[in-house]
Amino acid sequence: MKGDKEIRHRPHWFEQFLEGWSVFWQNPLGKIGVTLLGIFALMAFSSFIPPLVNPMYHPMTGVDPEIYSSVGPSARHWLGTDFMGRDIFSQLLAGARIAFMVGVSAAFMSIFLGTAFGMIAGYMGGFVDTLLMRLADVIMVLPTLLVVLILASLFGQLNIWTIVLIIALFRWPGVSRVIRSQALTLKQRPFIEAARVAGASHIRIIFRHIMPNVLPLAFLYMTFRVTAAIIIEAALAFLGFGDPGTVSWGMMLQWVWKTGHMFKALYWLLPPGICISLITLSFYMIGRAMDEVLDPRLRREETAR
Amino acid sequence: MALLEVEDLSIGYRTRLGLHRAVEGVSFSLEEGKSLGFVGESGCGKTTVGMSLMGLLPRNGEVLRGRVLFEGRDILSISEEELRLLRWKKISMIFQAAMNALNPVKKVADQISEAILAHSSSVSKAEASRQVEGLFQLVGVPKERMRDYPHQYSGGMKQRAVIAMALACKPRLIIADEPTTALDVIVQAQILEETRLLQEQLGISIIFISHDISIVADVCHDIGIMYAGELVEYGSREEVFDSPAHPYTRALLSSFPTLTGNREMLKPIPGEPPNLVDPPKGCRFRERCQEASHECSLISPAWTELFPRHKVRCIRFERKKGPQ
Amino acid sequence: MEIKRYLTRRIIQILVSFFVILTVLFLLFRLAPGDPVSRMIDPSMSPEDAEHLIAQLGLREPIWRQYLVYVKNFFTGDFGYSFHYGRPVLKVIWEKLPNTLLLFTSSIILSALVGIFLGKIAAWNKGKPLDSWMTIGALVTHTVFLPWLALILIWVFAYKLGWFPITGIISEEIWLDPDAGALAKALDVGHHMVLPMATLFCIHFGSYLLIMRSSMLETLKEDYILTARAKGLRESVIRDRHAAPNAALPVVTSVGLSLAFSINGGALTETVFTWPGIGRELVFAVSQNDYPLAQASFLLIALVVLAANLVVDILYAYLDPRIRY
Ligand SMILES: Nc1ncnc2c1ncn2[C@@H]1O[C@H](COP(=O)(O)OP(=O)(O)OP(=O)(O)O)[C@@H](O)[C@H]1O
Ligand SMILES: [Mg+2]
Repeated sequence: MKGDKEIRHRPHWFEQFLEGWSVFWQNPLGKIGVTLLGIFALMAFSSFIPPLVNPMYHPMTGVDPEIYSSVGPSARHWLGTDFMGRDIFSQLLAGARIAFMVGVSAAFMSIFLGTAFGMIAGYMGGFVDTLLMRLADVIMVLPTLLVVLILASLFGQLNIWTIVLIIALFRWPGVSRVIRSQALTLKQRPFIEAARVAGASHIRIIFRHIMPNVLPLAFLYMTFRVTAAIIIEAALAFLGFGDPGTVSWGMMLQWVWKTGHMFKALYWLLPPGICISLITLSFYMIGRAMDEVLDPRLRREETAR
Repeated sequence: MALLEVEDLSIGYRTRLGLHRAVEGVSFSLEEGKSLGFVGESGCGKTTVGMSLMGLLPRNGEVLRGRVLFEGRDILSISEEELRLLRWKKISMIFQAAMNALNPVKKVADQISEAILAHSSSVSKAEASRQVEGLFQLVGVPKERMRDYPHQYSGGMKQRAVIAMALACKPRLIIADEPTTALDVIVQAQILEETRLLQEQLGISIIFISHDISIVADVCHDIGIMYAGELVEYGSREEVFDSPAHPYTRALLSSFPTLTGNREMLKPIPGEPPNLVDPPKGCRFRERCQEASHECSLISPAWTELFPRHKVRCIRFERKKGPQ
Repeated sequence: MEIKRYLTRRIIQILVSFFVILTVLFLLFRLAPGDPVSRMIDPSMSPEDAEHLIAQLGLREPIWRQYLVYVKNFFTGDFGYSFHYGRPVLKVIWEKLPNTLLLFTSSIILSALVGIFLGKIAAWNKGKPLDSWMTIGALVTHTVFLPWLALILIWVFAYKLGWFPITGIISEEIWLDPDAGALAKALDVGHHMVLPMATLFCIHFGSYLLIMRSSMLETLKEDYILTARAKGLRESVIRDRHAAPNAALPVVTSVGLSLAFSINGGALTETVFTWPGIGRELVFAVSQNDYPLAQASFLLIALVVLAANLVVDILYAYLDPRIRY
C-alpha cells in the first residue's frame, strides 16, 4: 500500500525528461546553445591530439624551435604563436578542457550544496532554516572573485581544484533559496504528510520525496552556475592569480595583455575572449531554454550568474 | 430601440487542442435602464460574452459569428480607437476578480480620476478629484481613504471602489461580472442592495453575471440561463425564477441556497459539461439531464416561446406545444 | 509605520552580515598558515617601529584580545600601514573611494534605466523581430567576458580610432594647468570614464533588460491591466503608467541581488583601465602581498555592497506602496 503510493507520487522524471527535451529542442535558444556546446566539447576532447602530433604543440611547454616571438597565423600554427613561440590553437583547445572541468565540477558542487541546504532549510524550518538562510544572506553579498583573491593572498598560489572548491563554497546560496521555497510548498502537499504519518524518517522524506521534485530545478540552476564558475576562473587567471600549471583561456588573455601584445596581435587577443564569451552564452541559452520547459514561475535569478 | 442588441453571437478560443467554442449562437437584448442577469456554471461562457461586449477578448479569442449592436452601432466592426473611446464612457465593467482589478502601485482615487480624465478633456484635475469624492460617497467608502493604496482596503472596500470606478464616467451600460463572489454573505447582500439602488437612481442598464441564480433573481429584471456556451432559457425574473422550464434551470435552482439559507435542499448537479472543442450533437445538457430521451441526442432543440417573455430551448417543450 | 519596521529589519540584517564578514576576515588573517605577525608588519620597517606596531595591534596577546583590538581599530578607522605606500591604509583607500563610487553607481544606474526601458519595449513587442533582436543582443552583451570586452573597446575606440584615452582617469596636462577650470577638469574625467562605463554598461543592461522583459510579460497578464484597457486608456498609458511601474519592481530587487556580481566586474574594469578605485587597489594589494591594504580594501568593498543594498531596499520601498504603508 505504502509502496503503491510512493510510486504514484514520485514524478517519472525520465519520462518528464524526454517530454521536456522535445520542447527544449524546439526552442531556438536551446538548439543553438547545445550546438555551440557540442563544438566546445569537441575542442576539449581533441585537445589531446596536437601534443601527440608534435611536442612543440604542447600548450604549456611546447615551443617552436624556430620562433622566438609572437607571429601571426600560418599553416604551421593555425592561429599563430604566443610571445615565446607556443601554439595558440593548441592552447585554445586545452582551454576548452579547463573550462569544462572548472565549470562543471564547481557547478556540480555548488548545486549539491545549494540543493542539500535548501531542502534541509525548507523542510526543517525553524532555527535551522533561519541559520542557513542568514548564512546564505551573508555569502550572497560577497563578490566571489574578490573573495578568491583575498584567499589567494593568504594561502599563496591556488591550484585549479582549490579555486573550484572556493567557487562552489561561495555560489550555493542563490540555488538554496529557490530550492528552499520549493521544499516549503512541497512540505504542505498531502503525500509528504502521508509519508510522515507512515513513519518515514526526515532523511528518507527529504531524499525520497522532496529531492526528486526539486531536481529539475536544481538542474536548471546548474547551467547558470557553470557559467559563473567559468567566468570567475577566467577572471582570476586574467588578473594573474590562476593556476600556473594550467593553460586556460583567462590565462591566455592575461599573457596577451601583460606582455603588451594586445595592439599588435589580434590573432592572439580575439580567440580566447570569443571562446569564453561563447561558452558562457551557450550555457546561458541552454539555461533559458530549460527555464521555458520548466514552470516559468519558478525562475527569477537571471542576473546572478 | 433597445440599448443593446446581441444577435447570434458565437465566440471561440484558439487552443492547443483546437478551436474551443466557448459561446454559441447567443442572442438577447437589453432596454435602457433595465438589468439582465446571466447564470450558469463555471466555464459556461458568461465572462466571455461580457468581454466581447467591450471588445476585450483575449488574444486567442475570436468572434466567429454574430452582431453586437450598441446604440444601433455594431461594435464588433468599429475601429480600435473608436472602441477605446466607447469603453468606460458608454460601457463599463465590474470585473470578476475585483481584488486584482486595482493597480497595486497607484492610489485608488487616482485610478478612478484617470478614467474620468481619459474621457473628457474639459475636466480639470481638481474637478475630477471632486467627482471621485462624490463617487466614494455614493458607494459608501469614507473619503479620507481616497488617498490610500488598494492593499490598505478591505475586500468589501475594494469592491465598492471598483463599483465607484465603473460609475465614474456615467456609462449607459455596466457589465458586472460576479461582483461579489469573493465577499462574505453579509457584505455581499449589502453591496447587491446598493448596486440595485444605484442602478435605479442613475438609470443605468446592467448586465449581471453570476453562477448563483438567487443573486441574479434579487437584482435583475430578466434572466438568461447559460449552459456550455449556449443560452438555454431566457425570460423575466418572475417567470424564470418561479416557474423554471429547462431541466438545467431547475437543477440550478435546487443546487443553490438562497441568501436566507435552506442548505439541506442543496443538490449538486452530477456530471460535467461537455468538451467544447468538439461539442456533441443535439442538446448539450442531455448527458446530465434526468429527463433526457433518445431524441435529445439527435436534434438541437430550438427556442420555444412559453409566454411572451419566457422562452426555453428544450425538446420537451417543442413536443408539448407540438405542430400547431 | 510598516516601512520603519521593514528598514529596521534590513539594517539589522546588514549590520549582522557585516559583523560576520569582519569576524571571518579576522580569523582568516590570523589563522591562515604562516606568521600572522609578518602579515601585519611591513618587512622593511625598523625593528623598533615593528615592535611598537605589534604592541599596538596586540599581536602577542591572546586571540580574543586581538579581536577586540581589531574591532576597535576598525571603528576608529585604523587599518594599519600599507606596505607598499608606507602610509596609513585608510588614507590610501579613502582617496580611491570616490572614483569607485563614481564609476560604479553611474554605470549601474544607467544600465538599470536603459535595461528597464528596452525590456519594456521588447515585452510590448513580444514575438516581433524587434523583440527577438533585443533579446539576442541582451544575451550576447550580458555573456561577453568583461575583461576581454574592455580590451576590445580599448583596441577599437582608444587605439584604432583614438577617440578616448587608453587608460587612467585624468590627463596631467589639464590637471596641472593652472588655467584649467572646473568644467574642463570634469569633462576630462568624463572623457576618461566613457570606455570603462561602456564596459560595465554593456555587461549589465542585458540582464536587466531580460528580467524586465519577463516581468513585464507577467504583469501584462494581470487583471489590473485588463481594467486599464477597459477604462479606455491609451495603450502607451497602459504600458508606461500601469504595467511598467509594477514590472520594474523585480528588476530593482535583482539589481540588489546582483550587486556583488557587479562589483567583481567593477574591480576587473578598474584594473584593465587603470582606473584608480578600490577594486583595482585590492587586486594590486593582493599581487604585492600588501596584507593590510588588501584586508581594508576588501572590507570597504563589502561595506559598499551592503550600503548599496540598503539604498536599493529604500528605493524598493519607495516604489512599492505595499511596503511603504
Ligand atoms: N483565453 C482563453 N483561452 C482558451 N480558453 C478559454 C480562455 N478563456 C476562457 N476559456 C474557456 O472558455 C470557456 C468559457 O470561459 P468563461 O471565462 O467565459 O467562463 P465563465 O462562465 O465566466 O466561468 P466562471 O464562472 O468560472 O467565471 C471556459 O471553458 C474556459 O475554459
Ligand atoms: Mg467568469
